[in-house]
Amino acid sequence: MRPSRRFDPLWMLGPTLVLLVVFFFVPLLQAAKSSLYEWDLLTPPRYVGLDNYRALIDSGELGHALSTTLIMSAVVVVGSMALGLGLALALNRPTRFAGFVRSAVFSAYVVSWVSVALLWLWVLDADAGALTALCRALHLPTTHWLGNPKTALYALSGVTIWKIAGYSMVLFLAGLQDIPRSLYEAASLDGAGAWQRFVNVTWPLLRPTAAFVGTTSLIISFQVFDVVRVMTQGGPVRSTSVFVYAIYEQVFLNLRVGRASALVVVFFVLLLGLTALQLWAWRKKGAA
Amino acid sequence: MSGRETRTLRSPLTDGVVNVLLGLVAAVWLLPYLWMLSTSFKTLPEIVRAPTAPLPSGLDLGAYRAVLESMPLARYFWNTTVMALGIAFTQIAVALPAGYALAKLKFAGRGVAFGLVVATLLIPAQVRFVPVFALLAEVGWVNTMTALILPFGVSAFGTFLIRQALMSVPDSLIEAARMDGASELRIIYGLLGPMLRPTLVSFFLFSFVYHWNDYFWPLVMTTDDAVRTLPLGIALLREQGTGVRWHIVMAGNVLLSAPALAVFAFAQRHLLRAVASKA
Amino acid sequence: MSFSRRAFLALAATGCAASTAPPGRKTAPLWFTYGGKNRQVLEGLVKTFNLSQGEHWITPIYQGDYFEGLAKLRTAIAARRAPALSHVVGEVVPYLAQADVLEPLDDYPGARQLDIVPALGQAGSWIGGAERRLVALPFNRSTPIAYLNGKLFAEKNLAAPKTWDELRAVARAFTHDGRHGFGCPIDWWFWAALVGQAGGDVVEPDGRVSLGGEAGERALDFWKTLVLDDKSMKPPPGRDYNAWEQTNQDFLGARVAMIWTSTAFLKYLEENAPFPVVAAPLPAERRRAVPTGGTHWIMLRAAPAEQKPTAWAFLRFMHETANAITWATRTGYMPVTRAAIAQLEAEGYYQKHPNDRVALDQLGVARPWPWSPDLFRVQREIVQPRLEGAVLGGKGTRQSLDEARALATRWR
Repeated sequence: MRPSRRFDPLWMLGPTLVLLVVFFFVPLLQAAKSSLYEWDLLTPPRYVGLDNYRALIDSGELGHALSTTLIMSAVVVVGSMALGLGLALALNRPTRFAGFVRSAVFSAYVVSWVSVALLWLWVLDADAGALTALCRALHLPTTHWLGNPKTALYALSGVTIWKIAGYSMVLFLAGLQDIPRSLYEAASLDGAGAWQRFVNVTWPLLRPTAAFVGTTSLIISFQVFDVVRVMTQGGPVRSTSVFVYAIYEQVFLNLRVGRASALVVVFFVLLLGLTALQLWAWRKKGAA
Repeated sequence: MSGRETRTLRSPLTDGVVNVLLGLVAAVWLLPYLWMLSTSFKTLPEIVRAPTAPLPSGLDLGAYRAVLESMPLARYFWNTTVMALGIAFTQIAVALPAGYALAKLKFAGRGVAFGLVVATLLIPAQVRFVPVFALLAEVGWVNTMTALILPFGVSAFGTFLIRQALMSVPDSLIEAARMDGASELRIIYGLLGPMLRPTLVSFFLFSFVYHWNDYFWPLVMTTDDAVRTLPLGIALLREQGTGVRWHIVMAGNVLLSAPALAVFAFAQRHLLRAVASKA
Repeated sequence: MSFSRRAFLALAATGCAASTAPPGRKTAPLWFTYGGKNRQVLEGLVKTFNLSQGEHWITPIYQGDYFEGLAKLRTAIAARRAPALSHVVGEVVPYLAQADVLEPLDDYPGARQLDIVPALGQAGSWIGGAERRLVALPFNRSTPIAYLNGKLFAEKNLAAPKTWDELRAVARAFTHDGRHGFGCPIDWWFWAALVGQAGGDVVEPDGRVSLGGEAGERALDFWKTLVLDDKSMKPPPGRDYNAWEQTNQDFLGARVAMIWTSTAFLKYLEENAPFPVVAAPLPAERRRAVPTGGTHWIMLRAAPAEQKPTAWAFLRFMHETANAITWATRTGYMPVTRAAIAQLEAEGYYQKHPNDRVALDQLGVARPWPWSPDLFRVQREIVQPRLEGAVLGGKGTRQSLDEARALATRWR
């Protein structure tokens, strides 16, 4: 349709575009610019060129943030997608009990990250927490879940998966319900077993959903901050210092805005790259 | 509904096993909350003695009292609600005309505008916060409600949803309204808005809950109690150094989680609808 | 300025310490970073101040732990919303002073007559502190001390170790059946204590970051020996104050027989331990040495001018003998004025509470910090992460410290 007055799109999109420019695009460019300066928010900025990047690489902080974030992301994306898919398949039935379980799982997605973090801080407490008690009851080994540098990151990943599995599940359920039953009936008439039905009917039609879930889970996993801040503050021994937390720390605890901006730039490029990669990978395998 | 296993696989035994497994799943997601609730009613000696006891020995409200005494809970609650309402309303108010223009009107640069909106999905808050903070500090708006609401005035997701919904509205409807003399403003807010009510309600709830729960942005943008939000206040309960008082932390957590869970309980369908509408 | 009894009672009846100021009062915010018991004592003192006069009103606002609070303070200064009054750790004062955000206090009424214990005030806390403008007043000042589980020590008839070798032996004696003999947060503060005891200084008076040189290495190696070789030292997990928290809990739960932590937790530990708590000074190696810790009061220059007199009035209130005594005796921090100490001695307080004396006596061997604006960066970014890596992660001592020194010298 043509606009009823020529400048209509201007005022219709005006607020949106102004806010986007002011609060998204300009800050992005400014972060790139700040990464070339040394600034502590209290005194005027000082130009240092690529020193911030160099310092981050030399001190190993950049590499560390990368590896921590990528490991966590990988675990969270794979874990929550697999769990979400599994739950969707298992809960795709009309019984009230299934409905109840679905709600239970999704409820974790609705509460705040702080809420989940505080809750699991208590559950994972090495001495008094329920998980330790459970392991002892089952004669399984226990450790200081959040205080052992080897397990802390995985503990946080587990908490993250617990929170967002419901999201994957809901999306996969919607995707499953879009698959026409006739396809399944045709397949089983051809003699296909449950597994073959899944591989030949369900999975191919679920691909677009999986792509979407994968991409959004990736973005969510990259933005994990609250659990780190509330539960481990980047420790122990920096083993949970993911990108966003490292950025926060640089700004507010170290007062190095320039360094933080350098981390932001790398973070953004990484996120962009991984999202593109994800979308490309899912698309390439072909939609039905 | 479709896509379920065929009848040949189901037997009472399989059903029973599956139900047990599902029960375990529900337990994994519900038990932590129940334990949290139970802990909030215990006293400190009880927790030290038997932290994993499933039920408290009595309904001690001491923890809740301590939470109320240690922070202006009502103010935090108010701040958080005002902020979340402000954001959700602003987003809808801004996204309706934008979605309309992108869905219905032909004009030069439409593709670019749409691309810009979608692109922002890849610029999360953590990338923008320092320059935005510096900007707001410059104009003296740090630690104000504006700093909490304005940067979220646009929701790419919301704009997208509205555009999507509007694309299935027949053009003829709008043309008829125009011929009746309605201004575009009136069409957008008076005609299309109400038509899109289910979508808007879902989105409103989704955005409201999301921002109500937000921790990062208020953490960065507030400095004292004036506009401090509830998640921040409750997170401060984990005081260090002289023993974490878990019953108090859990009581605070109950108070923090309750609103979101209440919204979820009453408006599950709407929330699910918002989440399940895909790209 | 009169203040009717009725108004006093009416205000007292409102209860909450952080209630809004009655009309007509000059107000100022105080940002503080305590939790738990010490928070209650502070809020009590603020309430007393507010109710004891009719002109000023202080609004206390809790900001999390030291690091969180410091972060918020800097943010607020940058955003031009600084509070009038707050308190910060000593390591960061020179930096803030150099950034010119601290209000000089020399010329405020009564500043020069405050009778502060020299080692606790600006003059004694930093090398050359007396020559600079006064920007910091002592608030909760502490030194690290050793806490012993009185029951366990009596059973084995052992005394507090006076040297590193004795500490090693004592720690080993108590390590059996799941219990550890010694616990200490892997923190810069305690490492600095060890460096001092080994004969070195973390930062040389001329500003060079030597990290104690050879003494620094011996300090780190001592911890490694205890943790990795003897396995008599329990390394607490977590970071920043989680580690301190855990150490306290381990002590209270008798999982560790002896710990090093701040004198700040004295009252908390005494009140919650199911056994007698014995405080003792830290041992010596080449010499006795301890750093001082805790925080100093600061006023912010960027705060609105009308808030500053109120903030100052509260600072003077906190330095009054009775209040300094209340603060110190209810928490475990040291009394900051000589008059307060004298009064406590006269009352025989220290005879009844010998544990409180330990930190005070250690002041004689307290080492001041250099007035170095980079100190907090050295602490936070360079040293602290490497301490954890070396002790908990098993990295080489010399390598860690060399790396750290190299990083420190590459600045400015």
